[in-house]
Amino acid sequence: MNIYLPIAEMSVNVAVFLGMGCAVGFLSGMFGVGGGFLLTPLLIFMGVPSAVAVGTGSMQILASSVAGGIAQYRRKNVDIKMGLVLVGGGVVGAVIGVALVRILRQIGQFDLFVSLSYVLFLGAVGALMLIESIGAIRRARSGQPVTARKTGQHSWVHGLPFKMRFNRSKLYISAVPPALIGAFVGFMAALMGVGGGFVMVPAMIYLLRVPTSVVIGTSLFQIMFVMAATTLLQAMQNKTVDVVLALLLIVGGVVGAQLGVIAGARLKGEQLRFLLAALVLLVCLRIGWELIARPDEIYSIGPLLGAS
Amino acid sequence: MAGNAAGMFGLRLTAASCAMLMVAFGQSALAQGLQKAQTAGPLQRVLPPVLMGPRQPPPVLSEPRPQPVEKVEADVSTRSVEVTTGFTGHEILVFGAIDNSQQPEDATDNYYDVVVVVEGTPYPVVVRRKSDVAGVWINTSSVLFASVPSYYAIASTRPVDEIAGPAVLELNSIGFAHIKMTPSPGIWWKLNEYELAGFKAAVIRLKQKEHLYVVEAKDGVTFTGRSLFRSTIALPANVPVGPLVARTYLFRNGEVLSAHIARVRLERKGIERVLHDFAFRDPFAYGVIAVMLAVIAGLAGSMFFRRETA
Repeated sequence: MNIYLPIAEMSVNVAVFLGMGCAVGFLSGMFGVGGGFLLTPLLIFMGVPSAVAVGTGSMQILASSVAGGIAQYRRKNVDIKMGLVLVGGGVVGAVIGVALVRILRQIGQFDLFVSLSYVLFLGAVGALMLIESIGAIRRARSGQPVTARKTGQHSWVHGLPFKMRFNRSKLYISAVPPALIGAFVGFMAALMGVGGGFVMVPAMIYLLRVPTSVVIGTSLFQIMFVMAATTLLQAMQNKTVDVVLALLLIVGGVVGAQLGVIAGARLKGEQLRFLLAALVLLVCLRIGWELIARPDEIYSIGPLLGAS
Repeated sequence: MAGNAAGMFGLRLTAASCAMLMVAFGQSALAQGLQKAQTAGPLQRVLPPVLMGPRQPPPVLSEPRPQPVEKVEADVSTRSVEVTTGFTGHEILVFGAIDNSQQPEDATDNYYDVVVVVEGTPYPVVVRRKSDVAGVWINTSSVLFASVPSYYAIASTRPVDEIAGPAVLELNSIGFAHIKMTPSPGIWWKLNEYELAGFKAAVIRLKQKEHLYVVEAKDGVTFTGRSLFRSTIALPANVPVGPLVARTYLFRNGEVLSAHIARVRLERKGIERVLHDFAFRDPFAYGVIAVMLAVIAGLAGSMFFRRETA
């Protein structure tokens, strides 16, 4: 069965896109990631215009972060105060990001910029996770205990002004680093059509030293609000949010996420991280290859933007 | 007999000054029509200017009867195509007849040639070319064509190159090589003719890849009997929404004898139209509803999820 998408202006097979949403949902349920970094490149690969893929992706991530965020909130894993600081920065970053999308599309470098950002971030995060998970698997095999996080460590982060007390995270730190992290993630979200959890979670753990139990819930809280803002901004400025396409992906994603959670429960944490790292690196290599391989077609056509 | 006619004409002119005015007006209108024909688009050029100006005074009856001139009349099966949520393309039938056809009953060779061109609304297109910059393929040069048909389908009794010479085809924008594409000044002055031709060829190639520039199969236009012809044009699912123009040309010995124009409306309808119009007319409300839909879907999903694991 085919359906005509009103914004992407193309006729697509419903089953294929439901299946795609389901597959991405499965992986995000299994690894606890948003899956935007998989979904957006997949949509572009399927022929959805890259700007529509990014705009619609933000709506899909909003839905999945609401679902995930509610579950985390019930378990009291959300540091609302920290979350609000991250959201504040995130909205500012998203506004800048959406405006930059427009400029990059006008000068014809949007696709390049998106591809480069993917290669850079996925490459870095994937490599770090791979190294860390291999180390953890080795330690687990040799029977060494996993080292616990040392508390009370201080770094340059603690010397900054505007100190705030974050009760649930058990931290008394400056509001500047979380706001900057939030801004950076919001900027990336608008530009790359991702939630940015894969950057925010490590940043919160290693830079801010937020307890791991609170990190995922709080980052979902930020993603939820920033994605709501991004969806609204993309709809208003770039008119690239396709509601029909998003609903197809969301329905598929909800089903896939449940199956993914069940599958994920059977694997150990470090094994999951290893698989996720491999997946991230694969996507990174795939996009990177397209940048350096001689393309079959060196020309591309597009409409004139900013004319109306 | 001819002299007699001239006398009659002269008499009429002197007898009624208003008739003279009418004639004078008719002539100036004719001249205007000719001028228009030279500056206007491809179709107007081949139409006799008579069709464009106001009515001519009645022809003089006593002149020798001219040979009947062939004229093509055509229409489309569907005047209005609706793009709805279930739209997967649409086939339109362009059919017509030749008035005063002199085609022999048993003609198997191409006595007449008919060409049907269906064109979408022209729009500005930016063409970009990548080149290898330090190992990475980056868009380095671009050309803006101010007006390129969004869709272009052509059907003919035989390949257009065999029907007429390049000058005639160019004049009427028949065939991919003769699609009107004018680069906007400012960007392209740096490029030479050869490079520009590469950009033009790329537009045609990429549009063909998207099935938006189409040459219908060999027997694109078929004759039924002496004067009736038909041709089917398959609009693809991704055809850009907007008015389409179907031009029908009648050729004989490489010359355009007559041409006809018909229009097809291609409009969004139903939920498809509601959503598209909503997104573009009231983007703020559309965005708010998109956010609400996503939140509701997420909540519904989490409730479902909770029940499953509980």
